[in-house]
Amino acid sequence: MNQAEVIAKIQGIFDNLFLEPVTLTPAISAKDVPEWDSLTHISLVVTVEKAFGVRFRVGEVETTRNIGEFADLIIKRQLEP
Amino acid sequence: MDSIPLKKLLLDRNPEFWRALATATRAANEFDELLLLSALRKKAHARQLPPLVPSPQKIRLAIVGGYSLYPLHELLEHCCEMQGVPVELWLGDYDNYISEIMDEGSGLYAFVPQVVFLLPAERRCTYTGGLTDARELQEAEAQRLVDSLLALARQAHEKTHAEVITTNFLLPTHHDLGAFRSRTLGSDWTFRKWVNLELGLSAPSYLHVCDLEFLAHRLGGLAAGDARGWFETKQLGSPALLAAMARETAHLIHSLKQAPKKVLVLDLDNTLWGGVVADDGLEGIELGDTSPRGEAFKAFQKYIASLKARGVLLAVCSKNDLARAMEPFAKHPEMVLRMEDMVAFKANWEPKSENIRQMARELNLGLDSFVFVDDNPAEIDIVQQFAPDVTTILLGPDPAAYVAQLQDCRLFEPKNITAEDAQRTSQYHSAAQRQALEATVTDMNSYLDSLQMESVICEFLPVDVPRLSQLINKSNQFNLTTCRRSEAEVLAVMQDPRFIGFSVRLKDRFGDHGLISIVIGETTGEVMRIDTWLMSCRVLKRQVEEVVLNEIARLAQARHCRILLGTFLPTPKNEMVRDFYGRMGFTLTAETETKREFELGLDAFQPVPTKIKIVRRAYEPS
Repeated sequence: MNQAEVIAKIQGIFDNLFLEPVTLTPAISAKDVPEWDSLTHISLVVTVEKAFGVRFRVGEVETTRNIGEFADLIIKRQLEP
Repeated sequence: MDSIPLKKLLLDRNPEFWRALATATRAANEFDELLLLSALRKKAHARQLPPLVPSPQKIRLAIVGGYSLYPLHELLEHCCEMQGVPVELWLGDYDNYISEIMDEGSGLYAFVPQVVFLLPAERRCTYTGGLTDARELQEAEAQRLVDSLLALARQAHEKTHAEVITTNFLLPTHHDLGAFRSRTLGSDWTFRKWVNLELGLSAPSYLHVCDLEFLAHRLGGLAAGDARGWFETKQLGSPALLAAMARETAHLIHSLKQAPKKVLVLDLDNTLWGGVVADDGLEGIELGDTSPRGEAFKAFQKYIASLKARGVLLAVCSKNDLARAMEPFAKHPEMVLRMEDMVAFKANWEPKSENIRQMARELNLGLDSFVFVDDNPAEIDIVQQFAPDVTTILLGPDPAAYVAQLQDCRLFEPKNITAEDAQRTSQYHSAAQRQALEATVTDMNSYLDSLQMESVICEFLPVDVPRLSQLINKSNQFNLTTCRRSEAEVLAVMQDPRFIGFSVRLKDRFGDHGLISIVIGETTGEVMRIDTWLMSCRVLKRQVEEVVLNEIARLAQARHCRILLGTFLPTPKNEMVRDFYGRMGFTLTAETETKREFELGLDAFQPVPTKIKIVRRAYEPS
């Protein structure tokens, strides 16, 4: 999967999670989306881990600054054996 | 889970959203599903979507503990609201629970909680000495830990009268010490098991344990732990465990005010045995140890018999010919359940909803006390449609899973089993004999005389508190004010000199009815206000009402009161006592939609003669 494909799949998760539609771009982050609070964030991470079959390591999700970096992290963890 | 239909209901401002949300919450198994549903719930509140039914008053719930309470509190708030017990939350600071409970000036006490949920830190539940220390030393430390937890719970309770819920401790899930773990109390494995065991066995009635050891066991220990969640945000366990905890705690809070169900109504064919008795005959049905399916049905019957032993009433409701339906109960050697285990037996061709309604009338119980079990979805559907207050359980396709399905229904969980619960079936049986006698004795007075009734009236005693609270919280029909009280609140009444409180027990020549009536009165100067007057409908028209009035008047006069004030607060279920005070000689003084007030002057009051022999009176040594 490349970044665009991963973001497209995250878009599906967002559509389910948020009431108001959000169109994802690599640059978008929590501060751009009013509904994206810390609660939604926890929900998002758990859902993403299930949907992509990945497990993030301690502390690494909070180092990603936007959806693009988050998608890259998902790809990195997917490539692990 | 697809949230689109829910979101559409919300965006359309359709109040059906709430029903759909509750259904989705019941079905949701995963943490992220629950969080999503909770987020939708909050959005619906923010948009002021009107509720389907008026929301009950919120319970003030304080959560304190050695963990981050976020997002647990979100899940808990959601589960509570969906269970019909919405909460107003107060959250303690991270790992500040000991001082919050010890310090009378803390925000915890300013909040005045009705329920305190305590999550003591697991990292403090560990033996600090060596693995090979003497067992006495290790046990003493475990005991100190239990004592300190009990002391914290007691402090929180005594300062607020709140009910307290505490979690216990998760067990380790990694091999670590290997087999040696169970050879010493110094290992976390054994130490925590000891602490959990002792905590549960020593908990006083106001303390309820949210059993993490059990929840994690059910979930699988590895799936319940979450080291990353601890390091990142100080979580107690995995998202799955948090979801299970929230559900469990909401259930505990719900059951503080809500009594368990009373009657289990059972289908027969393919429920209590395999096959159809009218087609397959007595010999053809599958039941007993000769086949695996037969064993499963027999095990189901044994479990049902164990429910009866803890006080659940059993009944049969079957689409069947009565004689054929009764045959296995009388003649099949492998039947565990027998006719005398049943308080009602309906086998006919009427709709099951009608049969259950009739049972409710005969047993004088509300339909919401009934649980109906059937393997046929069509029968379940009819009952859901035409007797919606009845809770239904549709058995799955495999009889091997029947027992587990009932064990997980969460409808018959005792808070504290009282000896009287276990006697209940025999009480209802003697009610049937009494009705037979009533039919033969024509004159009511001689009938009452022939019953040889005896009554014991007693002020509230600490030993009766569980039973008192149970009756206060489950009586619906003969209940003038329907004022619910937890065990802690009953204790508070006992300690307040302005209040009198007494209970009435009744027995007759057919059996002991146990505790059947409760009164709480509050004196202010020359006036005694009857705060609570309730009675079990089993003893209607037996002159217990008169006995109780005589006793209230006697106690009021002894406290120099000249006036009794009675209040009727209508509910959907207590219509039968709407005019009760009028019938008892009180005068109606004020009336609105939601309240009727009555008065009785005591100066000219004469005790009403009855056929009940009073063995003991309240506040008098026996």
